[in-house]
Formats: sequence, C-alpha cells, structure tokens
Amino acid sequence: MPAPDLVKTGIFGLDEILSGGIPRGNVILLEGAIGCGKTTLGVEFIYRGASQFDEPGIIVLFEVSPDKIIRDAQGFGWDLRELERTDRVRIVFTSREVLRQELQQADSVLLEEAAKIGARRIFIDGVARLIGGNGTAEARSGFHVFTEGLHRERLTAALAIEASAYSTGQNGMLPEESIADTVIRLRMEENQRAITRSLEIVKSRGQDYQMGRHTFRIIDGRGLQVYRRVQAPRPSSRDRAAAYDPTTRISTGIPGMDEIVNGGFFIGSTTVVAGISGVGKSVMGLQYIAEGARRGERGLMLSLDEQVQQILRNADSIGLDLGREMERGLIRLEYEPPQEIEVDAHFHHIEQLVEEFKPKRVVIDSLSTYGSTLGTQGRVFRDFFHALVALMKEHQIAAVYNHENPEMLGMASMMGDFAMSSLVDNIVLMNWAELGDTFRLGMTIAKMRANPVIRTTREVEILNGQGMRVLPRELRIAADQHPFSTYVGLVSRAPERRHIREQNEVKDKSLDKPVE
Amino acid sequence: MPTSFNDQAQPEQIKRLLFRAPVIQSACDLDLMAFLHRHPRTLLTSEQVSALVGYNLRDIAKSIDAFIEVGLLERTAQGSMHAARMFVLLLDGPQGGGISALLELSSTRKGRQHILEALNTRGSPPEATPELRLVKYV
Repeated sequence: MPAPDLVKTGIFGLDEILSGGIPRGNVILLEGAIGCGKTTLGVEFIYRGASQFDEPGIIVLFEVSPDKIIRDAQGFGWDLRELERTDRVRIVFTSREVLRQELQQADSVLLEEAAKIGARRIFIDGVARLIGGNGTAEARSGFHVFTEGLHRERLTAALAIEASAYSTGQNGMLPEESIADTVIRLRMEENQRAITRSLEIVKSRGQDYQMGRHTFRIIDGRGLQVYRRVQAPRPSSRDRAAAYDPTTRISTGIPGMDEIVNGGFFIGSTTVVAGISGVGKSVMGLQYIAEGARRGERGLMLSLDEQVQQILRNADSIGLDLGREMERGLIRLEYEPPQEIEVDAHFHHIEQLVEEFKPKRVVIDSLSTYGSTLGTQGRVFRDFFHALVALMKEHQIAAVYNHENPEMLGMASMMGDFAMSSLVDNIVLMNWAELGDTFRLGMTIAKMRANPVIRTTREVEILNGQGMRVLPRELRIAADQHPFSTYVGLVSRAPERRHIREQNEVKDKSLDKPVE
Repeated sequence: MPTSFNDQAQPEQIKRLLFRAPVIQSACDLDLMAFLHRHPRTLLTSEQVSALVGYNLRDIAKSIDAFIEVGLLERTAQGSMHAARMFVLLLDGPQGGGISALLELSSTRKGRQHILEALNTRGSPPEATPELRLVKYV
C-alpha cells in the first residue's frame, strides 16, 4: 500500500498529533471563537509550506488588511514580504461575494493567481457567512460548490471560521463541518482565573490522529507550539521499557541508607519520599544526584518549590558543590514556577530535558506542589504522574519524587489524597518522633516493590556541611538519648521505651532481618 | 505629546515629494494609493473599491486609470462572468520612492492635511534641490 501523500503543516507539535500531516487536497476547517489563534495557525500553515516544504501558498483576506498580517507575521519571525517578493506567497484582499463567484468560475482570477506561483496551499481567513443560508441545506450545498473549486485546483485549503459556541462549551454543528475533510477546533478555556488555549482534531478524513484537546501556545518569535495531551497514548516502547534491566541498582548517596534498601534503587524505578516540610526530602534528593555525579552519572533535579540559586545554596550548606558538577555537565537543576502550569506544555518540557540531557537520576521536588497546582481530584494529576513514570521508565531513569505529607508526627496515610501508590515502586517515609523534649528524625521503608523490606524505623541525622546519614540501629547519639531500637510505636505517634528485657530480646533476634 | 516628523513637515518638503510623485493629483488619488499600499493585491469590483475608499466611482476610475498609465498599478482584464478584477500595486517604478515617502507622511492626520493643502495650492514646481538638479542635467 503506497504511503499517503501528507501535507506537513510544519507547525511545532501539530504534525505529530496528525500522524505526520494532513492528506493532500483536504479541506481543513479551523474553527473557534475570536482571538483563539485561527488566523495565526492559517498564516503559519502557508508560511511553513512556502519556506520549508517548497509549497507556495495563497492567503485570502476579507476584513484584515494584508499589511497587518505581514506586520503580525514579522513578530513571529516570518518574512511574508520576502516570500511575496520571491513569488512563494501571495496575499489577496477580496470580498466574500467575489470569492464565492471566483470559485465557481472556470476563468477564476484568484485560481489563475494561484497557478502563476504554483500554489499548493491556500488559507482563507473568515469563511463565515461565505455561503449564506444559515445552516440549511442551501448552505451546505453552497459550501460544497465552494470546496469543489478548491479540489479542482488540487489545493490543500485551510479555512478559518468563527464559531463562538465552542468557547463556551456548547455543542452545535456548523454546516461546513460535514463537508470539510479535516476539522480543527481551537478553544480558549478558563482554568481558575487563567486562560489556556487548546486544539482538538474533531475529524480528519484519510488518516489517524490523536484525539482529545491538546494545549497550544502562541509564542512571540516562533508561532504556534502544540503540546500533545499528556494523557495521549505514547509509543508502546515506553511501556515495554520497564523490563529492560530488573537487576541493576544505583546508590542512594545517603550513608547507611543503601543497606536498608537492599543496595540501592533499581534503575527505572519510581521512589516517593514522603514527609512533612523540613524532614530532609530535598537534602536526600541533592545527595542522590550528587552521588550520581560522583560516579559520572548525569542527574536532573526539577523543582517547583525552590529556584536554582536557592538549591545551590542549600547544597553548599551540606558540603555539596553542585555548581561545579553543573559546569562539568553532570547535573542540571531546573526550576519552573508552579503558578498556572499548563500540564501538556510542562510535560513536553520534561520530555525534552530527559531526551536531550539523558539523566540516569531524576529528582522531582515536589509531587505535592503538582497536586496543589493541578488538583488531586479528577484525572489530570494522576494522568500526568502516570505519563511521567512511563517516561522515566522508558529512559531507565531511577526517579525520586518528593511528596509533602501534612502530618508532623507519625503518618496516618502515606499519600493522602494522592491516589497513586500503585504506580510507585518504593516509598520512603520520613517522620519526626518526639522523644523526651526532642524531635528526632526517622526513616521507614514502607514499600519496595519486588524486594525484601526491612521495616524498622531508623534514625536519621542531617549535619551542617555533611548532609544526611542513616544511623546504625543501636547507636546512642547522645548520653541522654537512646537508640530508636529501644522504642516501640515511633511511626504510630505513641513512642514508648521497651522494657529492658524486651530490648535485650530485640538485640538477640536481630530485627534487621528482612521481611519477605 | 511629542510631535512626529510628519507633523513638522515643511511645505517645501511636501511640494518636493509631490513633485516626485506627480500622479498624485487629488485627495482621491492619495487615499486610493494608501488603500492599495495596504492591500497591494486586491481582487474586488470597482464599486467595492469605491465603497471601501469612500469616493465616487467616477473619481476612483479616473485615479485607477492614472495609476495604470504610469505603471504603478496592474489590473487584470474583465472576465466574462464576473466584474471583479485583480489590482496589483507596483512600487518598483520611477514614482515608487516618492509615493512611499508621501504615504509615510500621510499616515498621520496632520501630515495628510498638509499634503491635501499642498495639493490644493499646487502651482509651480518647488525650487530644485541639488539632487533634483543633478537628475535634471543628466
């Protein structure tokens, strides 16, 4: 079967959603409310065709004057004037009445103009009211005649049509939709007080495409950038990747911790470190990527909570010179402010980072900030996290996600409203225990998928200039402080000292034997 | 509010520009040229052009003919089935530079008024500048 002749739009991210492009000769309806980007999309379709694919094109305007289109295009870096000068683009100003007549004429001046430059594409801005008839059979018939004219010239046509109903979520069908081969619906959607643009392929004859609403942005100096919906299916290779290497482990970088996680985290594994603010989750993350750099492995830390300079300062306070590792190209710190994250665009950014930087270790700080930004109810957060986990597994990255658990002492629940424990391989609980007049920090490995687990709570300390370490089980860290092994109920909020005889039994039994 | 170059244009300067673009003889010529400059490739009927520019059809037809005569405008032949014609502005010719400068000047209300005043009082050509004298002698 011959490969379909697809017209590439050249618009960032759009061809990917369209499985490579749009079948040549299709009539494409770009529908949406005022200001949602129809004209920009149409003009970019023509610009990319002429400048990248050697496909000259015609832009037909009714109300907007060409000089404004040229000026606006200049803002995206598209030199339409130069393309006009070299006969690769023509911008024609006309009226709907004239265009209607033109496309029914054998000696159409417009189509003659298209033929002169060998046009393969045409964009008509504002076909509403072009056909008249108010949605009746007459209107359909009128539009049909109109599209026949375009087919005759073998032009791939993009027609922008205003459809305000779609901005308010109402449903309604335009007569043009049934005749057009491809319908791309653009929306501006309210999200709290922000507005997000989205694009949906409603139909496209002769090809497969990714359904659903994909976020897009209009960016100065570049044009449209379409980001595939984070929930959209990824290549099957991403899911198969988890099985590549189920044996190799990487060190946590925390002295004393590797021994309680069976030597380290598996590559491609997903670890959540849960605990209230201040228990050292970020410190653990910093040591984790620093340990990677020490071994020559690239590490990426993506923070929604702290800016890069702040992270560097934190690292410095525990004796880690991450700046030097950044210069060596082994560590990359990224900060993205959590306000108004567009989840599709954000995920695309992470995908790009992973594909370009190729880290072996990733720390995400933190899931709870994603939760408060995306909302833990509904599917967006879970779908985003699912896509993130799949991405990391595909690239065989051992990823650590920090999660702020709101409970100060002990834990009633590991993930709270974040219904995603099933996606997580390892869960590390960090919690305070109040013993006497002192808060002491404990670490419990609550889950290690496919691993024997030692579920004893171990004491942890964080020292200036040295960072975090897990203390030996029997270590008495001060004259008036007893080791954690002499207590019961550390995580369940009611620590009590064991009886002396019981303590001796604990020593004898060696509770460090893993639970299978 | 700062005054622009257009607002400060001197009558002699405007006369010199009009001298370089002798095809602009009236307000209709100026406004039609401004319209064509913003819509350099237009497919419309003469009636539609007349309505959009805001002058009667006879004045518009006269201006169009004048522009075509000096090579500033191309117009396709009238089709058998429809009245619309393609108008293509060509500013590469000898009057193009003068026209562009004139249109730039007319882009503000005051600048346009100065030009219209100059058109109404149009008399002898302005005193030639060295550049114009050179052209004249060559």
